[in-house]
Amino acid sequence: MAKVAITVNGSEAKNVYPPFILGSSAAASGDDVIIFFTPGGSPAMKKGAIKELNDKAEALPDLEDMFNSLLALGGRLMVCELAFDVHDFTEDDLAEGTEVVGATTFINESKDATLTFSF
Amino acid sequence: MAVKKLDALGMKCPQPILKVATMLPQLSEGDTLEVVADCSSFPDDIKAWCEKTGKTLLMCTTDAEGKHSAQIQI
Repeated sequence: MAKVAITVNGSEAKNVYPPFILGSSAAASGDDVIIFFTPGGSPAMKKGAIKELNDKAEALPDLEDMFNSLLALGGRLMVCELAFDVHDFTEDDLAEGTEVVGATTFINESKDATLTFSF
Repeated sequence: MAVKKLDALGMKCPQPILKVATMLPQLSEGDTLEVVADCSSFPDDIKAWCEKTGKTLLMCTTDAEGKHSAQIQI
C-alpha cells in the first residue's frame, strides 16, 4: 500500500475539501495518510471549523463524514506548531484527533511517501 | 457467511467507498456486502477499491434510474 502525504496551506473550502476527499479515499483503500496543516491551513482544524465549512457547501460531499472516516481509517491530521505563534488560538482549540507537530516530525513521518499533494 | 447491506444512496463521492471501508471491521472473510449507491463514479470506484484491497467484486449493475447495486465478497 502507498503512503500519502498532503499539505494544506489555506483554510478555505478550496484548500480543505481536496485533502479530505483524496486523503479519506486513500485511507479507505488501505494507504497510510498524513495531512499536514501549515499555519495558513491550521484554522481549518479548530473545533467547529469543519462543520462551519460543511454547512456552507451543500453541493460537496459531507466534510464532517470525511473527517471522521479518515480518522477511523487510521489517517493522521498534523497541525504545525507554528500555528499558535501566528494565530490567537491554542492546542486546546483544535479538533479532537489532531496532532501538533514540528516540521521535522512531519518530514520524517512522510519521508517514504509515494504520493504527495499540496493545497 | 453472512450477507450485509449498505445503503449509500444520496451520498457523494467518496462517501460510499468510505462507508464500505469503515464497515469492514464488522465483516468476516467470506461474507458478502451488498451496496446500493447513486453517485456516478461508484461503479468505477468500487472496482478500483476491490482491486486495491484484494476483495472480489461479484457484480455491479445500474438500473434505469442510475441506481448502482454492487455485491462484494470480503
